[in-house]
Amino acid sequence: MADTPVQKGKGSSIFSLESHGRDDLRYNGKKLTDPINTVEDKWRLVPAFLQTKGLVKQHLDSFNYFIETDIKKIIEANKEVRSDFDPEFKLEVKVPMGEDLRARTSYQLTPHACRLRDMTYAGAIEVDIKYNKGKQGFIKRNIEIGKMPIMLKSSKCVLHEKSPDEIAALGECPLDPGGYFIIRGTEKVILIQEQLSKNRIIVEPDRTGFISANVTSSTHEKKSKTGVVYGKAGKIFLKHNSLNAEIPICIVLKALGVESDREIAELVCGSNMEYLELFSPALEECSSMKIFTQKQALDFIGAKVRVTQRGSRVGIKPNWGDEARALLADTVLAHVPVELDSQGVENFRPKAIYVALMVRRTIQAVRDGGITDDRDFVGNKRLELAGQLLSLLFEDLFKNWTLQIKRAIDQQLKKPNRTSQYDASTAVSATSKFITDGLFRAISSGNWNVKRFKMERAGVTQVLSRLSYVSALGMLTRISSQFEKTRKVSGPRALQTSQWGMLCPSDTPEGEACGLIKNLALMTHITTDSDDKALQRLVYMLGVEDINLISGTDLYSDKETFLVFLNGVILGVHRQAEKFVNDIRRLRRIGKVDPFVSVYRTVSQRTINISSDGGRVCRPLIIVNKGVPLFDENDLKDLVHGIKKFDDFVITGKIEYLDTNEETDSDIAIYEKDVVYHPPNFPGIDFNDVPNTTHLEIAPFTLLGAVAGLIPYPHHNQSPRNTYQCAMGKQAIGAIAYNQLNRIDTLLYLMVYPHHPMVRTRTIELIGYDKLPAGQNATVAVMSYSGYDIEDALVLNKASVDRGFGRCVVMRKFSTMIKSYANQTYDRLADAQKGDDGIPITKHAALEDDGIAGVGIRIASGNVLINKQSPMETSQRPPGSAVGSSDPSAIPFRNTPVTYKYPGEAVVDQVVMTTNEEDQTMIKCLIRQTRRPELGDKFSSRHGQKGVCGIIVNQEDMPFAENGVTPDVIMNPHGFPSRMTVGKMIELLSGKAGVLDGNVQYGTAFGGSKVEDMSKILIENGYSYCGKDVLTSGITGEMLQAYIFFGPIYYQKLKHMVMDKMHARSRGPRATLTRQPTEGRSRDGGLRVGEMERDCLIGHGTSSLLIERLLFSSDAYDVECCSKCGLIGAYHGYCTFCESRESVVSVKMPYACKLLFQELMSMNIVPRVEVATLE
Amino acid sequence: MNYSNFTQNANKPFVSITGQDQESISFILSNTDLSVANAIRRAMIAEVTTMAIDLVEFENNTSVLTDEFIAHRLGLIPLFSSDVDTMIPFTSRECSCQQYCPSCSVELHLNVKCDQESRSVTSNDLISVHQQIKPITSESDSGILIAKLVKGQEISLRCIAKKGIAKEHAKWSPCAAVAFEYDPHNRLRHTTYWVEDDVKSEWPVSKNGELEEEPAEDEPFDYLAKPNKFYYNVETTGALKPQEAIIAGLKVLQKKLAFIKKNVEGIAEEVGTGGVEERMF
Repeated sequence: MADTPVQKGKGSSIFSLESHGRDDLRYNGKKLTDPINTVEDKWRLVPAFLQTKGLVKQHLDSFNYFIETDIKKIIEANKEVRSDFDPEFKLEVKVPMGEDLRARTSYQLTPHACRLRDMTYAGAIEVDIKYNKGKQGFIKRNIEIGKMPIMLKSSKCVLHEKSPDEIAALGECPLDPGGYFIIRGTEKVILIQEQLSKNRIIVEPDRTGFISANVTSSTHEKKSKTGVVYGKAGKIFLKHNSLNAEIPICIVLKALGVESDREIAELVCGSNMEYLELFSPALEECSSMKIFTQKQALDFIGAKVRVTQRGSRVGIKPNWGDEARALLADTVLAHVPVELDSQGVENFRPKAIYVALMVRRTIQAVRDGGITDDRDFVGNKRLELAGQLLSLLFEDLFKNWTLQIKRAIDQQLKKPNRTSQYDASTAVSATSKFITDGLFRAISSGNWNVKRFKMERAGVTQVLSRLSYVSALGMLTRISSQFEKTRKVSGPRALQTSQWGMLCPSDTPEGEACGLIKNLALMTHITTDSDDKALQRLVYMLGVEDINLISGTDLYSDKETFLVFLNGVILGVHRQAEKFVNDIRRLRRIGKVDPFVSVYRTVSQRTINISSDGGRVCRPLIIVNKGVPLFDENDLKDLVHGIKKFDDFVITGKIEYLDTNEETDSDIAIYEKDVVYHPPNFPGIDFNDVPNTTHLEIAPFTLLGAVAGLIPYPHHNQSPRNTYQCAMGKQAIGAIAYNQLNRIDTLLYLMVYPHHPMVRTRTIELIGYDKLPAGQNATVAVMSYSGYDIEDALVLNKASVDRGFGRCVVMRKFSTMIKSYANQTYDRLADAQKGDDGIPITKHAALEDDGIAGVGIRIASGNVLINKQSPMETSQRPPGSAVGSSDPSAIPFRNTPVTYKYPGEAVVDQVVMTTNEEDQTMIKCLIRQTRRPELGDKFSSRHGQKGVCGIIVNQEDMPFAENGVTPDVIMNPHGFPSRMTVGKMIELLSGKAGVLDGNVQYGTAFGGSKVEDMSKILIENGYSYCGKDVLTSGITGEMLQAYIFFGPIYYQKLKHMVMDKMHARSRGPRATLTRQPTEGRSRDGGLRVGEMERDCLIGHGTSSLLIERLLFSSDAYDVECCSKCGLIGAYHGYCTFCESRESVVSVKMPYACKLLFQELMSMNIVPRVEVATLE
Repeated sequence: MNYSNFTQNANKPFVSITGQDQESISFILSNTDLSVANAIRRAMIAEVTTMAIDLVEFENNTSVLTDEFIAHRLGLIPLFSSDVDTMIPFTSRECSCQQYCPSCSVELHLNVKCDQESRSVTSNDLISVHQQIKPITSESDSGILIAKLVKGQEISLRCIAKKGIAKEHAKWSPCAAVAFEYDPHNRLRHTTYWVEDDVKSEWPVSKNGELEEEPAEDEPFDYLAKPNKFYYNVETTGALKPQEAIIAGLKVLQKKLAFIKKNVEGIAEEVGTGGVEERMF
């Protein structure tokens, strides 16, 4: 790394691992010699953090862990394939040394090529296989067993550790964060999934209102849910999904080998008489059931084991005791290990203590009057990322694959007389598509089905939205909750205090998914799984007494005795909790323990929890020691000068990562001035009341996410406004990526002249929004004008529009495949059809000789872009069939053109002819349309203030300031009082000051340029300090009576444009079945006179109009109907039922009505029409 | 009209120029009505005829910018339009030709191929067929940037510059900004300053305020007073010299008035003197 050349600011990425990526940011207006102020410049740690980790570090870390570690573990665990027919046979899958995904692709596949060619960005999973052929052993090396989609920018990606220039050379945007997959040309994101944490006890009231302690155990093999319920009359039960009845808890404890009631009582209650009182009914129940020994208890439980579990062992007489023993060992609380001792007997002791603890927790909650755990607490949540999800899927697929191989091998080996020795490697290569297809299908459809865990999730993946750069970023930080959207519970949707700094408080959608879809904050890190074996050893070394050696009295008797948990498993007790916790923390800070291991104490439960599992959310904080933040001026200097990187401070123990649980055990100061420290024995202070500061925030603005970080002065806005902006920022048209003009997307919106905002935030620079902006700095006059500005409508200056304000480009893809068919025919491209005068017909005007529209040619609606023709017959004829000739060249063709069917003129931008993975030719046409703002186009500032353009006014009619400046946009002042977006006003003020000063100003959350300073700049430049100006009317030339708030505000053009929406029709297509007008703009549909409109017309008494609208303009139909029998369906005036012409009349009715009658008749219901003369 | 009938010299509008350079001119117009003063401003911005590129025919464009993008940029390049009316008699709307003809348009060419590592295409690369109507130049400036090319990229195109007015598109406006002010001390109380404590300390007086006497503290408010002195600063794009823009603006106004006069007289002849009043009011 040291040898790589230094990349300077321009065009480089802050996401690159290369720490010199954005020197301009590190220095940021600061010369190396300038004094450094820790309080002011502490935020520089944020870019440093993002430089080492990148914005989507969670995804990359998770995928890297999967691809480098987990995948090998999975293969290792399932490596053997044996045959039922040949006990000698054995096939072993081995992970080759130095195995590398993507190593064996014939040429370097770049992500961009995959996008353009509709291919999958994937690498080969290569293994060695060892098997025997008869007595001989064989080893085959580097056999491909499938393809694994590769996450962009992960360690197996070509973009990994590339400099911005190299990335650009590969056709990729250096600012692109990566973290997604490319499956068949579409970019797919695996959303972060939020789940309740596994293997932890959560006490909460169950559905019937009884307090229960629940644990979802999860191991590689099993997933099960165990609950302990404090039921009616103090009876306590164990609930488990493999037991069909609730088991009294004492029976469970007895089955687990705690036979004496006294011991049970001790394990549960310690010496606390209050607990014992609450527990005694449970004890009594057990003895009243006459169950005293372990054997009796096991038999009792065995009888309650769910039938489906026993079904597999038909014919063998069930030994219920053994059944129960196995169940207790493997299934109930599966995450608590049950080891076999030297005699081969299960050691149930840890499990018994665990069950007792669950009981104790419930009793504790009952005693405290129902104070339970909060399942919405972020510390009780785990975030599942791409790596974990893929790991589940891959494990399932791999197991099934080995099963398939086994079946294939069995097929061969069971043959009694084989002509040759069977080579098992053929079975491997024959099934190579299985894993590939399974992975591709899951990622492209988003359906995650893992039978083992009964997991059936839909919508796990989504297409990466490339509407704007922020929308793509926002998608990569999105967290979707497992909760049902329809349920009307507020708890999971509410903002949780523990989300502070971990999840963005602003960025969530409105409506249905509100609060269920969340976004990560800027500095959030999500842990990956790490090995806990070493940690376990360390814990014992630090003085934890093994749980197996502890009696019930020892557990709870002493106030200083704390239970020690590691990832939810009880390891033992420690008698000096504080010292122990500090020891671990100290070891973590000096780098002896993984930095992402968290340890915290709960005093009320007297437990110490150590976690090293994956999916915990955590964030870095500065450590404070004795009231002094360890990260000091010198460190900051080193950081600014590039001597040290972020990770150096973690290693040296100046910054550490805290997860949400450990945060509850810390005292975090937001600003340095808030740091408190009271030395021990400080007179007059009770230390239980004033905790000393343990940590210091790096920068308060990081509590917002990447999308909310775009808002200037968000701390001055009403909070929902920030939320609205988070939704709208994703719809803003702007620059998407540096490679945007090389991309061929279905729909792409680009802005012609995007500006970086005058009022920036630190986040804007950190995420690179200043390089790929989406909006323009508009000069805004806040005033009422013309009346076309009510209800948030905006007035635009025509001259500004002429000069390029809000101008955007819309690109659309039209593509088709040139297929070849089974009967030796294939699609073809035809040249333009010529009229009598030898000039191509209008429809084909854009076509060139190759039958494809030429680049740069203007097209209008109805023009053919690709003049494809397909054979009329594509299936293989059966040999010797009588009809027609079998000569493929004789099969006629029909036109299957690709036509441009959108309003407005457009230009052909690019044509791509290429092949996909299956060698099918594919033609893509990119159509470009440049649009200037028009009436009804939607705009928005960065404060959730959207509006449509109400009128476009000539420059000379616009009001102007005394220096002749006319506004680009006039905004109605009524937008302010109810919305309370003070941030927008301050943005204007700072923007104006910035313009006059020639600087960008900052509106960073909880900081930024101060209003006072801005006013000073305004005064210095001869303006009023309040940002208001005297404006003169452009129409009359008179000065406006009112002062006008006047200055630049960053405006975004949103993707909703009138051109894509406007629609009207008189006559047009009708649906075939009902003969009613079609629905929707895309089908040129009619506009519905709905129920409310109908009510209006009735209210007006305009019945003729109603009849016209609902019948004649829709589906009027003349039905011949017999007035005698009342049946419809007379034929040419002849009623077939009455066999007469006498009484047939013609009745006008809606076609839909006639259809209904016929459908009723088809189900043996006779609708009869009574006819009378109209009076 | 015969102006010699005006005996009172005081009723004549009066102009004094206070400053002038290449791009801008400041002057004071006095002895006229606010509506006239504003009309001059409006005419200068919107109705002065200039030349600007309106049609672009691309022969080759291998730059990264799209055709429409470049065409839009070309349109906004100011072309020297002094005396344009003598050279190009018609705007394209007035002209009788189908699309364009020499009497309403001028042709320009741009043929640039990049042989170096990279280069900028500026307005200086635009070659006009016409002697005078060509992109503006100035010594201090290397031309207006149109696009940047890297090695091998090429732009070659043919432009048609047409005569037009800014009512149609802002590219035809000769003015960049027209500052216009009267009554800098707000004697007439046309505006109400918003203040926290005191107008004087909170609202800075514009530069033009120096040219007028500061009102005395106890000066009575003359509610009959009318604005009389107008401060202009006309900054042009370079298409016209500032004074040309003003004169052109006045001409436009004059033409309009002449048009009204002619029509009114026509009606008067038709109906007789009394009829005019009936019709007009």
